[in-house]
Amino acid sequence: MIAQELTAQMSESEGVEFFESNIRPVLVRECYGCHSNQTGQAKGGLKLDTKQSMLLGGDSGPSLVPGDLEESTLWSAINYEDYAMPPNKALPSNVIEDFRIWIESGAPDPRTGDSKLAIRGTVTDEDIKRGKKEFWAFQHPRKSEPPRSARSDWASKPVDQFVLAKLEENHLLPAEDADPHTLLRRLCFDLTGLPPNPEQVSWFLEKWESDPDNAVSHVVDRLLESPRFGERWGRHWLDLARFAESSGKELNSTFPHAWRYRDYVIDSVNEDKPYDHFIREQIAGDLLPTKRDREWTEHLVATGFLAIGPKTLTEQNPRQFRADLIDEQIDVATRVILGISVACARCHDHKFDPIPQSDYYAMAGIFGNTDTYYGTLDIRQNRRSSDLLLMPVSQNLSFNKSLETDDLEKLTDELARVSQEYRELGRLRREARQSKEPSANFQKTQRAFAQAGNRMAGLKAVVDSYEPDGTPKSFCMGVQSNDKPADANLLVRGEVDQPAQKVPRGFVQVIGGKKPKIRSNSSGRLELARWMTDESNPLTARVMVNRIWQHLMGSGLVETTENFGSTGLPPTHPALLDYLAVQFMENDWSIKSMIREIANSRAYRMSSQFNAVAYESDPDNKLLWRASPRRLEAEAIRDAMLDISGKLVLQRPEGSDVARGGSSVVRNGQLANTADLLGQLKSSISMGEQGKASRRRPGMANRRTRNRFSNRDKGPSTDPRAFYRSVYLPVVRDSSPRSLSVFDFAEATMVVGRRETSNTPDQGLYFLNNPMVMELSREFAKQLMEFSDDSMEQVQRAFLIAYGRPATTSELQAAEIFLDDLNVKGSNRQKKMETLTYLCQSIMAAAEFRIVN
Amino acid sequence: MTIERNLFIPSRRQLLKTMSSGFGYLAFSGLAAKAAATERRQQEDSGQISKNPLAPKAPHFPAKAKRVIFLCMRGGPSHMDTFDYKPQLMADSGKRGKYRGSLLGSPWKFKQCGEGGLQISELFPHLASQADELCLLRGMHTDQPIHPRAMTQLHTGNPQFVRPSLGAWTLYGLGTGNDSLPGFISLNTPSGSGQNIGSAFLPAIYQGTTIGRSGRGGNRFGGSRNSQVVPDIKNANLSKRQQRKQLDFIQELNREKLERDQHQPGVEGIIESYELAFRMQDSMPELMDLGDETKDTLDLYGIGDDATNNFGRQCLLARRFAEAGVRFIEVSNGGWDHHSNLQTALPNSCQQIDKPIAGLLADLKRRGMLEETLVVWSGEFGRTPDNQSGNGRDHNNKGFTSWMAGGGVKGGFSYGATDEYGYEAVEGKCHIHDWHATILHLLGLDHERLTYRYAGRDFRLTDVHGNILREIIA
Repeated sequence: MIAQELTAQMSESEGVEFFESNIRPVLVRECYGCHSNQTGQAKGGLKLDTKQSMLLGGDSGPSLVPGDLEESTLWSAINYEDYAMPPNKALPSNVIEDFRIWIESGAPDPRTGDSKLAIRGTVTDEDIKRGKKEFWAFQHPRKSEPPRSARSDWASKPVDQFVLAKLEENHLLPAEDADPHTLLRRLCFDLTGLPPNPEQVSWFLEKWESDPDNAVSHVVDRLLESPRFGERWGRHWLDLARFAESSGKELNSTFPHAWRYRDYVIDSVNEDKPYDHFIREQIAGDLLPTKRDREWTEHLVATGFLAIGPKTLTEQNPRQFRADLIDEQIDVATRVILGISVACARCHDHKFDPIPQSDYYAMAGIFGNTDTYYGTLDIRQNRRSSDLLLMPVSQNLSFNKSLETDDLEKLTDELARVSQEYRELGRLRREARQSKEPSANFQKTQRAFAQAGNRMAGLKAVVDSYEPDGTPKSFCMGVQSNDKPADANLLVRGEVDQPAQKVPRGFVQVIGGKKPKIRSNSSGRLELARWMTDESNPLTARVMVNRIWQHLMGSGLVETTENFGSTGLPPTHPALLDYLAVQFMENDWSIKSMIREIANSRAYRMSSQFNAVAYESDPDNKLLWRASPRRLEAEAIRDAMLDISGKLVLQRPEGSDVARGGSSVVRNGQLANTADLLGQLKSSISMGEQGKASRRRPGMANRRTRNRFSNRDKGPSTDPRAFYRSVYLPVVRDSSPRSLSVFDFAEATMVVGRRETSNTPDQGLYFLNNPMVMELSREFAKQLMEFSDDSMEQVQRAFLIAYGRPATTSELQAAEIFLDDLNVKGSNRQKKMETLTYLCQSIMAAAEFRIVN
Repeated sequence: MTIERNLFIPSRRQLLKTMSSGFGYLAFSGLAAKAAATERRQQEDSGQISKNPLAPKAPHFPAKAKRVIFLCMRGGPSHMDTFDYKPQLMADSGKRGKYRGSLLGSPWKFKQCGEGGLQISELFPHLASQADELCLLRGMHTDQPIHPRAMTQLHTGNPQFVRPSLGAWTLYGLGTGNDSLPGFISLNTPSGSGQNIGSAFLPAIYQGTTIGRSGRGGNRFGGSRNSQVVPDIKNANLSKRQQRKQLDFIQELNREKLERDQHQPGVEGIIESYELAFRMQDSMPELMDLGDETKDTLDLYGIGDDATNNFGRQCLLARRFAEAGVRFIEVSNGGWDHHSNLQTALPNSCQQIDKPIAGLLADLKRRGMLEETLVVWSGEFGRTPDNQSGNGRDHNNKGFTSWMAGGGVKGGFSYGATDEYGYEAVEGKCHIHDWHATILHLLGLDHERLTYRYAGRDFRLTDVHGNILREIIA
């Protein structure tokens, strides 16, 4: 008490005096020998003879965090906790008390030691100016008049005129229109990720007969209105945003609230939120002006974009962790939004683009003024857990019911008991260590201490997620700006212990555009978001239309979709790219309008027909002489299987399996929260109805969730949750479901603008032998049996449902032979059903099912 | 006359025709192993027989190495603490480094090993006993100090564009000796690294097949039954004959699609991969089941011990695949990125691989396979002699060490050198292109003649570079 008063009362000069009389002499006497510039010793990378080096600390992080005993390694070291310093003899308790007072009062320290380092880069202003002037991507896009051609009967949209002009330049012709079956299938998969059904096919054929343009435009409009559209195109964005519901890396703790960001993205895409606004919400949603709580909540969820990245939660050094976090945010934001990689300027000037290291630290300053809230289970191995954001508007979740106040009280009491036990064990452990006698006792204490810590973390996660009256709180992941904005130091070779000069907050110099001034009291993040989405920014619109183009045409105009810099590839059709970019902005950054523009073009409508002559001169189809056949993404393949077998559940699931599992850690693809913790909790609260409800609180995983988690496709399932669209499957880093990973699901630790499309025997094994494929084949067959008794009619129907076209004569023959020859056992009826099941499986397994022409 | 011209360019369409007449070139059961490879190549060259893209092909010239086991160390192992002895660095430890920061001498002792007297760190006690098999390449360097790009360059030669990987080129050049297994297998591949084992513009059948994805938490080879590592390998419902009938139907549909589309590498790839998948159902579980290995052998690889179990299994599987005729096997081990935990984490990493690799070399030798198996060990780059964060080292692409063993290289031999501290390669420099050229050479392939025509020009693994390290060839 007295000490606290003392702390509060200490003025600046008193603080310095306190340091000079009580602290400095101790440091000189006890510490400098091993940790100072004077003696040239820096054991553990630590020096204690300047203010700055003391703050920086050594290998285990900052030795001193003013005002914060917990985070100050110096404090735990002199208390013989993590380290035992000084090594020979602990300081007398009154000296330790002095240190406590000093640290708590903000560690006043007159010793100077600001970095005198000033790093000059190799990228000159001249280089930047030249880059701005000469490199295509840094110049503002200009809308040019679409070129005219003699074959004006072909082109129906400006897009076509640009494409045709390039083809003619190279003495090539565009392919004929695709047949309506192929085209409808292409449209449905491209826009919604699902195949057309037979009714849609016949409707389209009829319309196409009378007016193809109208037929296409009608279908495009209908598909864009469908909620399925957002699930498809939202997933494209989630690939870029490296969306996942766990931290990845060694500890892999779950993010039980990440799904809110997933739903936010899908909803935003469905409501055609202007892209510029969509970006501003994700970069600076917390800072956007808003009057309504609901909107504020949405904005906060949007900033989850910056919080859901992979994290090394075991990192000892908080400074390193923070630098890595900022680095990840800069990397993702710049590559996803600007199509340029700034993060390689962390350690040195960019090797290829005129981006000096100082540009990186100008941005690091902006993100450095940001606190990131991602949660994670606060167990002992987790050195870097954080809080979460409490949502202004809470959301009721069926799996997260209110708790009786009695039960909450019991949990709170239990938490208090365990915390007490934890502290007590901590003290014993400290004593055991100080006694210097290595004993079995120490090991035991150590173990008990760790276990108590885990239990405490689980309980705390549970208790913290309720209001005092037992109402569950709603959390989301996201960011907030901190109170005292500051600039960042440039770090020599990106090393946290080598700070050089301060760099004023700012943006990438070589990328022009209107740059808002960053006021001294502003973090700069809102300004960053505004700069990124200003129409004068040369990259943002280009990068996005290029992606839209890629998803519709198979390949971007700039093939390296996240790299518009000099190591990327130049656009194949620069004028077209610019035309689209400007149009995009003119149409209020509407993604749907852009898709409408492209999907209604003749270029999109081309057949994928092979042409030997054109192939010879342009094997990669860069000039677009035909439609490029494409392998479907994992989600589309799985969803199509569910859809044609009548099992697809279109309703959006509430939350996700990870949310149901709560705060936990993932081991071997399972939510392997410590079983003993669950047991402890069970016994610590009263059983009965309330007990049941509370078993799914954060911090616990129930057995069902655990099993279903990554093994969704292991066996027949009656649980409707297994049949949601793939975009709603849990995305846990390092453990994606088989049905997705087998077809090159996006690696959730990386920005993925373009999925790989491998072709492996593993995919063959999946279709031949996977139990879920078998189960869905059976469901598919059941439907056909209901449709008709005639086996040839069943086969016809199967082709129509699966491929959106009737079977050919030879396919029918092959099917007939197969049905006659397979020779399965059982009653007549059983035989028929079984055989048809294998036929359905074969149709899903065949190449056409996973390829869109 | 170059191979690829005869193999693919004029005959692509013919190839498909051959295929549609009853899978003549795919079903090739037994044919592959029996055919005298040289003869085949001559016949192929003169257009006498149909081409099976995976059938064994004669190399350009006779060579000892028939296959490769590539031990890929992800993260950039420190050369100064493992295979590149730097007494001067140790002596000057703590002094100012070349690029700021202080020098960090290796905290581990080195000793001369074997008759060749190679200096190897005490972190590899088992491998030291195989020192006379090792050919250290101490002058390695590469272009990129960033993990993903350097890793891609290590595998494909080109960090920037999508190019076929070393394994794919090898398979394309030599075919494979077992038609029931993929010719290029990658164990424990991290997800997201498809490009590193990909075939790019080479036909899809040459790309690597992954077995057991690597995950941080998962010990994917640690289980008692390895067969589970290959998911969906068994059909629970159909007899072999029935399944063949079903597959015939699937392939019939595929073939029809291929005929309609005329040129469709994706469909070709699917057709080929189905046949392989079908055969793998029998061959794979058998190979993955370590039940027929003696206790002695399991011990040799450190299988059963926590530290070495996972990697030991991979190494043993690699030997089994090699024995079965697989042309290129990649085994990988992650966690070598020691920025701030060198003293504790590096010994762990070394321990994980030391006994398994020593076991692999010994096992290959006693089975008489080492002569014709080229074992290659490398990370994507090395690390700095400078201290980073007090207990670690940063990335260093300018100098590092890799090694080879067996397959016609000199054992107990060291080639090339970095400067006195280990900053960069100064003698016997070996760029990734040179390394690739040398590996192909040891397999009897001329890196300048192993080309594939794509987009109007001939591509090769080494682009326009590559010098063979002739000094290391026995």
